[in-house]
Amino acid sequence: MELREFINFPGLTFPGLKITLLKPDIFFKQWYSWYSKIHSSHLESPLEVFHNHVYRLGIPDSHIVLMLADDMACNYRNPKPATVFSHKNMELNVYGDDVEVDYRGYEVTVENFLRVLTGRLPPSTPRSKRLLSDDRSNILIYLTGHGGNGFLKFQDSEEISNMELADAFEQMWQKRRYNELLFIIDTCQGASMYERFYSPNLMALASSQVGEDSLSHQPDLGIGVHLMDKYTFYLLEFLEEVHPASQANMNDLFKVCPQSQCVSTPGHRTDLFQRDPGSVLITDFFGSVRKVEITKDTINLTSPVEPPIKRSGSSDIQIESLTYVDQLPVAEIIHQKPKQKDWHPPDGFILGLWTLILLVFFQTYGIKHLKHIF
Amino acid sequence: MAAPLTLLLIVAVTIRAVLFRSSWAELISERVEVVSPLNAWKRVVEGLALLDLGVSPYSGDVFHETPFMIYLFHFVVDYAEIVFMIADGITAVALYLSIQTYNKNVFRKQKYALESDRYPADCLELLRSPKEMFYIPLKVAMFYLLNPFTILSCVAKSTCGLNNAIIALFILCTLKGSALLSGILLALATYQSIYPLTLFAPALLFFLQRLYIPVNLRRSSFWFFTLQYAFIYVGSLVVITGLSFFLLGSWDFIPSVYGFIFSVPDLTPNIGLFWYFFAEMFEHFRLFFICVFQINVFFYTIPLSIKLKEHPVFLIFMQIAIISIFKSYPTVGDVALYMAFLPAWSHLYRFLRNIFLVSCVLLACSALFPVLWHLWIYAGSANSNFYYAITLLFNFGQILLVSDYFYAYLRREHHLTHGLYLKKKDGTEATLVLK
Repeated sequence: MELREFINFPGLTFPGLKITLLKPDIFFKQWYSWYSKIHSSHLESPLEVFHNHVYRLGIPDSHIVLMLADDMACNYRNPKPATVFSHKNMELNVYGDDVEVDYRGYEVTVENFLRVLTGRLPPSTPRSKRLLSDDRSNILIYLTGHGGNGFLKFQDSEEISNMELADAFEQMWQKRRYNELLFIIDTCQGASMYERFYSPNLMALASSQVGEDSLSHQPDLGIGVHLMDKYTFYLLEFLEEVHPASQANMNDLFKVCPQSQCVSTPGHRTDLFQRDPGSVLITDFFGSVRKVEITKDTINLTSPVEPPIKRSGSSDIQIESLTYVDQLPVAEIIHQKPKQKDWHPPDGFILGLWTLILLVFFQTYGIKHLKHIF
Repeated sequence: MAAPLTLLLIVAVTIRAVLFRSSWAELISERVEVVSPLNAWKRVVEGLALLDLGVSPYSGDVFHETPFMIYLFHFVVDYAEIVFMIADGITAVALYLSIQTYNKNVFRKQKYALESDRYPADCLELLRSPKEMFYIPLKVAMFYLLNPFTILSCVAKSTCGLNNAIIALFILCTLKGSALLSGILLALATYQSIYPLTLFAPALLFFLQRLYIPVNLRRSSFWFFTLQYAFIYVGSLVVITGLSFFLLGSWDFIPSVYGFIFSVPDLTPNIGLFWYFFAEMFEHFRLFFICVFQINVFFYTIPLSIKLKEHPVFLIFMQIAIISIFKSYPTVGDVALYMAFLPAWSHLYRFLRNIFLVSCVLLACSALFPVLWHLWIYAGSANSNFYYAITLLFNFGQILLVSDYFYAYLRREHHLTHGLYLKKKDGTEATLVLK
């Protein structure tokens, strides 16, 4: 199985400044386990995606967290050590000199994955192993491997469930760790992994529906395993045509690998996404497209941010200057903590209780005490 | 006797106050021997916080106190320490007064029996004199207040202290003869944790004895009084339960409190016998063993009542001991309650056979509990078996203590009717055996 995350941030504009500031925070994670001869080898898929496409589209290594559970390049069965090829014609070594694997081998666990997502890592964790995203980052997560209805297998010994994943994304949303998140999963019954999501701004794609298996693409008779999954193969073929200025949008991505090619039915989920998928560019997630506006004027940056000049008199609408915080109507999106009201016991209860206590008191000690009270 | 009692109360309050302010309070309130899921203070605070957030405190598995506790602590949660110290004080004073009354009763009966010549000639040394009985109530109060178990339980702010206070007040009202108050307090104690239900029998026997109604199932006077007392008890239980419904407006508290006590879902280790068994048990047999274990608590009431029908106060002592050994979530606070009674039976000292063994076992186990807990949980070099062994040994020590006192009490009664130096038919010295 592989897990990839890309975080891609298109741009952030502060009011009052003319230059568009960019914050390219991209993280890429990949995680992989090699199961047996019959199943496909999942290592090549994320490496291919990583090497060919994401790198090409502008996301640097510092923004990619790659998790590979098996070390295929140095496996003793690899006839060409230190190389991993995604195609049987061995034309492209996807495990080149510049591949940085952040989590390898036994470090790839459910706990580490969730910790990277939610950011709850021990202070000694290096930056390369962290997801340093913020609320303007777009994240791409790509997972592949073996899974079932509601779970994904890690390391032959543990599983991550769809609910855990959904809760991790909710934690990320509560902590403002992403702006939008694209979740691609290529496993058997992959659609079950995204059916429990409940946080906003999540879009998900899966290679197969619940009850279907995702199949692998081409075997290599030299090492005896399959090289890539069908869905990933056609996804990569689709990504070949994407370039940094491409206007291809998510609706095109949903059409990748129909049932005629993939045997399984790919699925997607967009109900939690606030924008229309047709307006979301592929490069919003897969690449880091920097919008640069060139101006020939000199800008004086020493003065603090001034609110825009209010139009007086001519219009009825008063444009209030928005601070950064108000641009994102978080209060309308996330659930507020219920206001703490003090609870009081109901009056009937107090009345009943104290009446009974008084009755018992007078019953035991007689009415003679009454005259001391009244 | 008021002055020594006051001095004792002041000393006890000082010790508790000092411990409350020290850093040990945190440590103690997390010990599993002192707090259980039923009476931990953390859970009370959590439940009240949930209530302030508008959620029923019984949702989820956090809060297992009764609504009356919610009502009480809603107002006094900031003064919790004082509340628990007052509860301990109330328990001590109630025990003091009840043992004083009991001693007066015992002495009066003994006087009548002496005057009517019912004692054999050679057992005069077994009789009790007011001089020896003078300090017993103070010793009882001291045994309760200065018992390390009680102090730990109070510092941990475990609501076991409040339960003990209610049971002590119940004993006081029973011994003073007020059937109404006794029934109401017993209902309150049962409402808090179900096990004081077994104290219905000794209380009933005490009242029958006091009103000179013979315990004969064929007599109508017996049934008349029993029904009256049962009516008071059941009626107040119903009223209290109904009132608790009106506190929160739902019956949630019944599965949360009583369902929890009976079905033992939480298997946190404690000094009781349930947790280990049920951790190991297959789900298939769980219901069977729950029934067996719970019946074990209630089972001893009837035989003991038959045997001890002339001695209801000793029966109360034995019942409380049995409850605190066999209940589903015992803590050291429960143990402290029946240990407070021991000075009342100090005249049985000459007949106790296992006193050395029992005291060694109890002391050693109390010392070993934290050691083996540390070894199990923190050092990792022991496992749950070690801790359970100490639990078993502790309960064995308690059972041995209780049965030893039972033997001593019955033996003394036997001697009082048959003479001190017993001889078998052929003239050799006989020994008494408890079978």
